[in-house]
Amino acid sequence: MNDKNEMELNYANADGESDGGIQIEPKVNPPENKRKIEIKRSHRKRRASDKVFTVCNTVFMILFSVVTLYPVLNTLAISLNDGLDAVRGGIHLIPRVFSLKSYQTVLGIQGFVRGAFITVSRTVLGTLFALVANALLAYIISRKRFLFRSELSLFWVITMYVSGGLIPTMVLYKALHLTNSFWVYVIPGMVSAFNVMVLRTYMEGLPDELEESAQLDGAGYMTIFVRVISPLCKPVYATVALFVAVYQWNSWFDAMIYNRMKPEYTTLQYELMKLLNSVMQQSGSATGGAAANGGNVSAVTPVSVRSAATIITMLPIVCLYPFLQRYFVTGLTIGGVKG
Amino acid sequence: MKFKKFLALTMACMLSVAALAGCGGGDKPTTGGSSEPKGLEAGETYEKDEIVNYTMFIAMPGSEINDGNEIQNIIAEKTGVKVKETWLTGQSAAEAVGSILASGDLPDFIDGGDGMMQLYDAGVLVPWDEYIEKYPNIKELYSDEEWESFRQKDGHIYWANVFCNTYGESMATGHNDEAFWIQCRVLEWAGYPEIKTLDQYFDLLERYAAANPTMEDGTPVIPYTMLCEDWRYFCIENAPEFLAGYPNDGSVIVDTNAMKIVDYNTIPEAKEYFSILNEEYNKGIIDTEFATQTYDEYIAKLSTGRVLGMCDQWWDFAYTVNDIFVQQNLDDIGCNYVPLGLTLEEGKEQMWHVYGDTLNNSSGVAVTTSCADPDRAFRFLNDVLDQEIHDLRFWGVEGVDYLVDEDGMYYRTQEMRDKWADSAYQAEHRCVYSYLPQWLGTSHDGKNAMQPQEQASEFFAGLADPLVKCFEAYGAHGYPDMIGSVVKETGPWYPMYSYSNSMTTETPGGVAWTKMGEVKHEWLPKVVMASNFDKEWDAYMKAYSECKPEDFIAEMQEELDRRAGR
Amino acid sequence: MKADLKIKKKPMKEKLNKNELHRQSVLLVFTIIFVIYGFIFYYLPLAGWIMGFQNYKIRDGLFHSQFVGFDKFIFLFQDKSFLRVIRNTLAMGIINLVATFVTAIAFAILLNEVRNKTGKKMVQTISYLPHFLSWIIVTGIIHDALSNTGIINEILMNLHVIDGPINFFAHEKYFWPIVAFANVWKETGWNAIIYLAAITSIDPSLYEAAEMDGAGRWAKIKHITLPGIRPTIMILLVMNVGNVLNAGFEVQYLLGNGLVRKVSETIDIYVLNWGVSQSDYSLGTAAGIFKSVVAIILIIIANSVAKKSGEEHLF
Repeated sequence: MNDKNEMELNYANADGESDGGIQIEPKVNPPENKRKIEIKRSHRKRRASDKVFTVCNTVFMILFSVVTLYPVLNTLAISLNDGLDAVRGGIHLIPRVFSLKSYQTVLGIQGFVRGAFITVSRTVLGTLFALVANALLAYIISRKRFLFRSELSLFWVITMYVSGGLIPTMVLYKALHLTNSFWVYVIPGMVSAFNVMVLRTYMEGLPDELEESAQLDGAGYMTIFVRVISPLCKPVYATVALFVAVYQWNSWFDAMIYNRMKPEYTTLQYELMKLLNSVMQQSGSATGGAAANGGNVSAVTPVSVRSAATIITMLPIVCLYPFLQRYFVTGLTIGGVKG
Repeated sequence: MKFKKFLALTMACMLSVAALAGCGGGDKPTTGGSSEPKGLEAGETYEKDEIVNYTMFIAMPGSEINDGNEIQNIIAEKTGVKVKETWLTGQSAAEAVGSILASGDLPDFIDGGDGMMQLYDAGVLVPWDEYIEKYPNIKELYSDEEWESFRQKDGHIYWANVFCNTYGESMATGHNDEAFWIQCRVLEWAGYPEIKTLDQYFDLLERYAAANPTMEDGTPVIPYTMLCEDWRYFCIENAPEFLAGYPNDGSVIVDTNAMKIVDYNTIPEAKEYFSILNEEYNKGIIDTEFATQTYDEYIAKLSTGRVLGMCDQWWDFAYTVNDIFVQQNLDDIGCNYVPLGLTLEEGKEQMWHVYGDTLNNSSGVAVTTSCADPDRAFRFLNDVLDQEIHDLRFWGVEGVDYLVDEDGMYYRTQEMRDKWADSAYQAEHRCVYSYLPQWLGTSHDGKNAMQPQEQASEFFAGLADPLVKCFEAYGAHGYPDMIGSVVKETGPWYPMYSYSNSMTTETPGGVAWTKMGEVKHEWLPKVVMASNFDKEWDAYMKAYSECKPEDFIAEMQEELDRRAGR
Repeated sequence: MKADLKIKKKPMKEKLNKNELHRQSVLLVFTIIFVIYGFIFYYLPLAGWIMGFQNYKIRDGLFHSQFVGFDKFIFLFQDKSFLRVIRNTLAMGIINLVATFVTAIAFAILLNEVRNKTGKKMVQTISYLPHFLSWIIVTGIIHDALSNTGIINEILMNLHVIDGPINFFAHEKYFWPIVAFANVWKETGWNAIIYLAAITSIDPSLYEAAEMDGAGRWAKIKHITLPGIRPTIMILLVMNVGNVLNAGFEVQYLLGNGLVRKVSETIDIYVLNWGVSQSDYSLGTAAGIFKSVVAIILIIIANSVAKKSGEEHLF
């Protein structure tokens, strides 16, 4: 199918069934009837190959789904299985000894509600702030006439590959009074060069005419950003919002490092992390030893708690995703203007 | 971030090895034998507004307890202090301490684990000296000589280790350390023979596996497996020191006659041990996947009851595996493991089990300069050693968590035991303050154990029949008797691993130590799996000697001389 | 080619006259804010790089620790095993980069071709889920599947490809492919999201026109979709080239063992063994500086290559 001649011929047969619309003269001029057959054949070939493509693609997608779904379902099965029993291994898609104990343990931790509240807050605020900041920066860098375009770009690209390390960062945040505060979750990570570059690429792909015509109408840069560019960037905004939200949702390390002594700013993931750590500790130390004395204890294990925590963490994102998804699954028509 | 998580786990576990290994217990003479409670005035209670809230960071993973924890409140009423514990999560101890120091937000109490020296260096710790004299329960923890060993270069004491400290007579029934373990059904099948050497051990495993090649459900038994994963490779690595008759100094052997450090990787016993493993591997006795299995896979294998024997430390497998045996009724058919104290030749003395306490003076609980009232903090450290508070911490509330029989002995019903082990109950009810000073051994009443796991009735209560039969057959009263180690005092240098663990790449010895580890990780499995053992062994020895182990040994020797006071 | 899509690259040729400069002042104000912000949060902490040239001790801090010049770097590069570690990191970094790149793009394009809307949404939702699993879960499953009694050995034995089970983790030759597969498995769907978003920017009328002209599926992919997302591909490629030395830590750590150590150790693991676990901050910092410098050099090269060949570039 990648053969160039055939391609051109395919294009030539644009009108499908009605055989009149041949616009390109074939390079060789075969006798009339032979030509007709050829066209039909290639036509059939195209439709057949499209069919083959569809079938192959469907099969591939199903296979792909099965393969990627497996680890998730496996995690789900383990989370619904009795913890001790799961340690023996061999659980695939269906729990062997059904138990909700892992979920009870995870949902039962004291910091759950408080952590969830902070996590939701930081996810909402963090995503909002980051989206505005990243989009604005991307907009500036994507303006082709902007004086310091290239320098600003380089300035931010470098930030992706350098890091001062934990302790200097800690000292800095302390000096800025960001430690022991909620804002440490929102302010420092607000601009991410990676997201800026993704946004920028998208913005640069938009037709220049949009900006030009708005400019003729007397619009300034900010008006163009808000009124013209942003509405067209919904798909990429959705993408970046998803990236930031997922990052915020999963973060726990900053909660521990910068708010170690401030339990009111704990995050859900940090609470889950602490739970996991404590279960690990118990399954390998003297403090959990009573069960070893032959009790009939249905213990939770690191594996089961980890699985349950994973599923609980995943759930809200899986639920929210369809709302974002419509922005980048279906195509977008750039109203009236064509590049 | 993920990177740090892993690192922390590795470190944390390494530390718990250090903390737990050698905690066998035993009788250590204590300075004061008086049974009078000290410090806590009887009947005194504190009102809510008088209670001081302290924070504590422990550079170890652990379980946080709920705010409003019941026993914590009782202790607070009695002592006037409540301590909010925060544990290590996803970092190494040193890193956590480093970031706490950088943040400047210090807790009131801290156990910095591996990062203790950083705290000392930063000058944020309060010296104990005057308080040791002031508070008798604290002073009683250690003998003068032992307290001296905590003294830092500036002449002060800044922390005290809280573990492995026996009051009065030892009540230890467990063996927390390393041994060659064997399922008691194998011993029963053979009529409880005396197994003293590695050859006898493998011979028995071979014979049993030949006679009973499968489990009831038809899955084949695995006569012997061993774990080589990451830091847990001690399961394959350090047996030579024991086989040669020495205790667990961890990284080296201390030859007590010559007071010389000996490298156990190159002694003849090491070669013989690995050649036996090699032979057994080629016979098909050793699990073919031993070199690549993960810890989870290892535990899963053990949990099926298929593995007849392995070399490991008790805490590394027993908690999970024994619980699963109960759940699967595998304990009734004798799948539980008992330890054996093996050597290479019959009649040689061995020290797989070390009687007596192991003092790790490199870390412990400390009070920081952030604490507004250090005297109050030290008074609390004194109070938690009071027998009443100690019982609340480890036994719980009388009538709720344990009962007292007519002889004054504490005991639990099965229901209480289950409840005590339940994690939700732990969070809302139990308050162990597990990194504050504590005792093992006998309670001030002279009858009960300080901690329930050492109470004989509690220990035997849950043992499965085959295990009891096995103990009876050998006339053993607990795990240490199964091993039959020689009772011998360890020197003040013991354990040497506390030094090798703290080595850095700044010294040639530290560099050598890291390289030796890398080489052994790679070569030990290769040597066991070799088709030509001698050739592979020579190649290993060549790679090993390129690490310059002599640099490491020299530095260990220096430290030994220092510790032995020469 | 009628249906070929060309992104307009023609810069507006207006002069930067006074008027335009005045218009840009608002951009300039924001630029200054962004530069100050970036300087504070990203460049200021780089003062910590001094540690790489010191024998850093917490008690002495940055200002009083002893300077040792390039000692830490010399230590790294004198060690034979560090060179091997760089090789491993580079190899795995490149293999992973190529594998995850190709699969994500292919997946995004193929998914875009799915006509059934519900099916499309479902597959996409499923595809990114593994991203949320931690490595320890994913590697656990991989270990299971590749064990002696695992599904892979079972299939191979039933197909009589092999006689006895292969212990995949005991052979150096399997390690890199396993790591690449693990990465692909976990991240394909997630990485594809960016491309799916980029595909939406393609004007649907182009497809319509091609349809009119009778273009087949492949033709449309080749001449519309791929060129349409080309800038995104190029930008991500250039950015990721800088990351080849960040081949990871967890996967190798969780899948590796003593037998394959020679091919599994990455720079991060090396630093863990030598630096962090012994609280040698300086060594870790030195390795970090090395990685940053290499990354920036790679980025500059990649960027100028892209620029020269008229592709989308970063700066």
